[in-house]
Amino acid sequence: MAAPMVHFYFQLIAFAFLHQCAGTSPEEFFKSGHTNNWAVLVDTSRFWFNYRHVANVLSIYRSCKRLGIPDSRIILMVADDMACNPRNPRPATVFNNANNQINVYGDDVEVDYRGYEVTVENFIRVLTGRLPPSTPRSKRLLSDEHSNVLVYMTGHGGDGFLKFQDAEEISNVELADAFEQMWQKRRYHEVFFMIDTCQAESMFQKFYSPNILAVASSKVGEDSLSHHVDPSIGVYVIDRYTYYALEFLETVTPGSKKTMGQFLEVCPKYQCISTVAKRTDLFRRDVNKVLLTDFFGSVRNVELLPDSIHLQNATLHTHSEDSSYVKSDKPLNYAQQFPMPV
Amino acid sequence: MPGEEASEEKDKSIQHTAALSFGFICLIIGIPLWWKTTEVYRVNLPYSDIADLSNTKFQFTIDIDVVNLEKSWTDKDLTDLSKLLKANLADDRKVGAIFPKYRVAVRQAAEKQSSDVTSLKTLAALDDYFHGEESSVNKYLIVLMPVNNAVVKQTTIGNYRAVYLPAGKRDLKTVSAEVTEILHSVLVREDALLKSFQNFLGAREPKDKASMRSLSYHQGYDILFTLVNPQPDILDIDWSIKVAVEAYLSPMVKQLSDYINLDIKSQMLFFTGLRRKPHKDKKNSGFYYEETDLPHTINPLEANLGSHASNNPMLNFIVYVPSRDQHPLHIVLKNGEKVKTNSFLSPQWGGIVVQNLPSPPPNSSLPVRVTVDMKTVMEVFLTQLRLLMDFNIQVKKDLQVREVGNDVIREWELDNWLRKKCLENLATSISTLQSLTALLEGISNIVIQDDIGQQVENAVTGIKEAHRHLSSGQIARAFTQSRKALASSEKAFFDPSLLELLYFPEDQKFAIYIPLFLPIGLPILGSLFKAIKWIKTKRKQKAKTE
Repeated sequence: MAAPMVHFYFQLIAFAFLHQCAGTSPEEFFKSGHTNNWAVLVDTSRFWFNYRHVANVLSIYRSCKRLGIPDSRIILMVADDMACNPRNPRPATVFNNANNQINVYGDDVEVDYRGYEVTVENFIRVLTGRLPPSTPRSKRLLSDEHSNVLVYMTGHGGDGFLKFQDAEEISNVELADAFEQMWQKRRYHEVFFMIDTCQAESMFQKFYSPNILAVASSKVGEDSLSHHVDPSIGVYVIDRYTYYALEFLETVTPGSKKTMGQFLEVCPKYQCISTVAKRTDLFRRDVNKVLLTDFFGSVRNVELLPDSIHLQNATLHTHSEDSSYVKSDKPLNYAQQFPMPV
Repeated sequence: MPGEEASEEKDKSIQHTAALSFGFICLIIGIPLWWKTTEVYRVNLPYSDIADLSNTKFQFTIDIDVVNLEKSWTDKDLTDLSKLLKANLADDRKVGAIFPKYRVAVRQAAEKQSSDVTSLKTLAALDDYFHGEESSVNKYLIVLMPVNNAVVKQTTIGNYRAVYLPAGKRDLKTVSAEVTEILHSVLVREDALLKSFQNFLGAREPKDKASMRSLSYHQGYDILFTLVNPQPDILDIDWSIKVAVEAYLSPMVKQLSDYINLDIKSQMLFFTGLRRKPHKDKKNSGFYYEETDLPHTINPLEANLGSHASNNPMLNFIVYVPSRDQHPLHIVLKNGEKVKTNSFLSPQWGGIVVQNLPSPPPNSSLPVRVTVDMKTVMEVFLTQLRLLMDFNIQVKKDLQVREVGNDVIREWELDNWLRKKCLENLATSISTLQSLTALLEGISNIVIQDDIGQQVENAVTGIKEAHRHLSSGQIARAFTQSRKALASSEKAFFDPSLLELLYFPEDQKFAIYIPLFLPIGLPILGSLFKAIKWIKTKRKQKAKTE
C-alpha cells in the first residue's frame, strides 16, 4: 500500500527536479522582447572621502562585465580620482572590501566620462542622445527599442535631487523627463533603475514613462549607510545596499535563472538599516518572472539556420600582389631630429 | 496764505505730472520693450502640417500585369478575370493608416511570346525571358501558363518580378483567388506593412520573430567578417575573404548602393575561442553544442571583436575553426540531428558558422596550411544576411519559389524591402516630429534656431514627397525621399541645443527679475496711484467750483 505512494511521490519529485534542470527552451528567449543590453553606471561624487561611491560603481561594473555585457555597451561615468590619488596607499587599485580581495579597478576598466566630464548636462545628453556630432562612439548610448538598459547611480542625494560632484544637482523631475524623452524616441525596451544614495526613493518618485523598474537603497527621510571602513586607508570602502546586492550578484552566473523579484528583496532592514524601496507599477511584466540576466547580463537569443541558399561557383579573380605591401630593399634611414649623445 | 497755497499746488501738480509721465513711460513703452527683447527666439514651425501628417492615410500603388498564354481562354474570359481581380483586390478590408491601390491590366500574350515560351526548357530561361520584357520596379507580371507547359507544374514565383501560374484547367474564380492570395501574402503583404507602420508610429505591439531579428533601417551598416583561429601554431588558415566578398557579396552591395551603404571589413582573431565547453559525443568521436549552450558563446567572443568608429550598427559574421581538442564540432538540434549548415545567428547581431577543417597528419611540420571553403561559408553568411537585413520572406509551402543563386536578393524581395522601409521611415519621421512638437510646446523657453526650423521643414516636405511618389507607384523615389525625411527629423530632434537644462526654468525667472524691478516698481506704482487720486480730487474740485 505504501510502496505505490512512495513511488508516486518519488516520480513527482523526480519530475519536478528534471523540469527545473531543463531550463527555459529557446523558443521562450524571443519572448523577452529585447536583443541587447546596455548599462549606464554613474558615480556622482569626487574626493577621497567618497571612496566608497567609486568602489560601488566599479563593483557593479565588474558584475555587468562578468555576466556578459561588453565594454562597448557600458557607459561608465566616474570622477576616477581614487586610483591615482596621492592618498591611495596602493596606487592604481580600488578595493571594495577591507580584506582587499578584489581589485575592482583592474587593468581593463574603461571609463567613458571621467573627472570634470561627469556633469548633469553630460548625463542627460547621454540618456537623451543629444550629443554633439564629434562625440566618439564609446561615449554614446546607442540603444534602440530592443535594448534593456541598466542605470545605476550612486553618490550623495537628498529629497528630490542628486548632487553631482559638489557643484550642481539633478532633480527628480529632470530625470523623469529624460526617461520620457528616451521612451518617446524608442531608446529602450525596459529600464532597471538602481540608486544607492541618501533618500534615494525620491529620485524615482516622479517617473511616468512605462517599462521602468526601480529600486532605491533608502526611503525619503532615511539615510543610506556605508558598510565598513578599511583601517589602512581610513575611509569607508562600500555602501551597505551595494555590498549586499553584490553578495547576491556573486551567486549569479550567465546562465542563472534567478529573478528580479529575488533581487528586489535583497538587503532587508536588519542588514541595510535603511529601508529598500522599489517601484514596480510602471513595469509591465511580473518581476518574479523576469530573469536577472535580462538587465545585468547579456543573454543572446539564437536561431539555428536549417538551410542556406545555394551559390554557383563564381570565378574568383585572385588579385596580384597588393600594391600597398611593396617591400623595399633599401634600409630606411631617419633624418636627424633629436640631439643624440655622441 | 494764498500765495503759498498756490505754489504748493504748483509743486504738487508738477510732482504728480512727473509721476504720471514716469508711469506712462514704464507701462506703455517699458513693459512691451522688455517683453520683446527677452522673447525666446523661436522659428516658426509647421505645427499644423505635422498634426495633419499623423492623420494622413498613406496610399501606395502597385501595378499588376496579367499575361495570358493559355490558348483556351478568350478575351471575354480575360475581361471577366480582370473584373474578378479588381473586385477581390478592392478595398473590402478596413482602410487603415496605409492602404494599397492596385492597377490591374489583363491581356492576351502575343503570338511570338507563346511560341517563345514553348521553346524555353528551364525556369531560369523563362525568368530571363520575362525579365527583359517589361519588368520594372513595383510592377508585377502574372503569367498564366498554358496547360501543357513542361516547366511550370505548380505556381512558381521567379527571381525577378514574374509569377507563373498554371492556369490550364482551373476556372476564373480560383485563378483570381490565387493571384489575390499571392499578392496579399508574398508580393505586397499589406498586413505586415500595416503592422510595422503602426509599430513605428508608436503602437508598441509585441513583436514577432521577423521584426525582432532584423535591424531597423540606418543609412549604412558595417559588416565585419572574422576568422577565429584558436591555434594558429597548428593550423595556418587561408581564407581568401577579399576575393570571396568581391565574387559573392559585391553584386548585392552594388544593387543596394542607392539605398543603403554597406561598409565591409574583415579580420582574423588568434588564440581565442568559444569558451563554453562543448558536450562530448559518445557515439562518434566528436563534440557538439546544443541550442541552449549557444547564447553563452557569443559574449566572450564579442569582447575581443573590437569596436569600431562609426555610429552605424554592426553585423558580425564569424567563421570559427575549433581547436584540435574540440574537433570536430557540430551544432545539434533537440532531437540529436546535426544542423546542416553548422551555424546559428543572433538577432540584430550577426552569425557564427563552425568550420571543421581537417587536422594536420602526424609528423607534419606545423603549422599546416589549410584552406576554408569560401563558397559554403559565404552561402551561410548570405542566408544570414538576408534574414538579418529583413529581405527574407516566408512563403507558404504550396508556393514554389525559384532558387535565388548568386543574385542573393530577388527583385520582388527588394521591392518589398523598399516599400517596408519607406513606410517605416515615414512612420518614424512622423513620430519624431510629433515628439519634437510635444517637447517644444511643453517647455516654452527652449530656443529654436533657424537650422532646426529648416530641418523640420525638410522633413515635412520629404514626407509629403514620399507620399506623392508612393501613390504614383514609384517606390524607389519614395524610399529616397523617406530616407531624407528620416535624416532631417532625426537631426532636428537630436540637435544638441534642445536641452531643457540649458535654459532658465520659469520659476527661476522670477528670482532674476524681482530684485531688479520691485525696488523701482513699487515707488512708481505708488506715486502713480497718488497722482491719479490727485487728478480725481482736482476734477471734483473743479466740478464743485463750476
